[in-house]
Amino acid sequence: MNLENYRMYLIAVRGGMSDEKSRDLQRFVRHCEGFILMVTRTGPVIAIDEAKSTLVSNHPLVEFMGPVELNPRGFAARQLESIFAANLGKQVELVEGESALQS
Amino acid sequence: MGLGATVGADLLSVPFPKMVFDLARAIAKGQTALDRASLGTLRVLANTEFDYIPEITEVIAPGPVDTAGGVPVTGVDVTVRPTRAIPLTLLQAGLTPSFYQFTESVIEVKMSISSKVSTQSEFEFGIEATASAGFLFASGSVSSHVDYRTSNTYSYSAEGSSLLRTTLKPVPPPARMMPRFITVNTLVQPPQITTSE
Repeated sequence: MNLENYRMYLIAVRGGMSDEKSRDLQRFVRHCEGFILMVTRTGPVIAIDEAKSTLVSNHPLVEFMGPVELNPRGFAARQLESIFAANLGKQVELVEGESALQS
Repeated sequence: MGLGATVGADLLSVPFPKMVFDLARAIAKGQTALDRASLGTLRVLANTEFDYIPEITEVIAPGPVDTAGGVPVTGVDVTVRPTRAIPLTLLQAGLTPSFYQFTESVIEVKMSISSKVSTQSEFEFGIEATASAGFLFASGSVSSHVDYRTSNTYSYSAEGSSLLRTTLKPVPPPARMMPRFITVNTLVQPPQITTSE
């Protein structure tokens, strides 16, 4: 799977986060071939192809979406990195499994 | 006015200074919008808190041995003790907004000018002589005609296209836009102060 053009974005959910909104948004992100790296109280941190990011930012549940990066000097940067890597790894595995079944 | 002069005038009429100005203005506007968006992200990151548990201690201690169907099973107790959760913002934790910068801009103007002049001339000369003679008199006449036709065809066409191309690259956040983190570690004596941006 080619993740070359994928970037990290932080999403702020319109009107505050709830389980239902979070699920809907996560489904939409997956529909756009994006991945959920972490879910925060404001909204999810996702990885998505730059070209498809506008699809997500125009979603009615998205109040704000901005590109973010990992700062290696952050207090919990290493932990964040490993959380992102673990979550990304699981989802990529699922996608690759699905495409292997289809082919 | 000669053809060369027309072509030169057409080339000079390309609004180059205006194009450069418009491009520069568009870049400046775009840069401002990008910086505003990054600052918006910075605000969201600074306002998003989560409880960070830096350590979880698992204490394994001997426990009562149980038997299941006469088989002794684990006699171990595991006590999980998380350390006190520290409220952290995503910015403190290690997420920063991406900043972008226009690094290169190119204006490309292409013009294709073609002009064609063709001259066509036709020349026709004719002479007609008649003579007659009778018993008492004789007569003669000579007539001639000259036809000259000339036509000039002049065609001129100028086509132009312009291309504006800019390159946008992620850059490290500007120092003045990012807060400095001053950490005072009172666990050691004397307290250790570290500053990072």
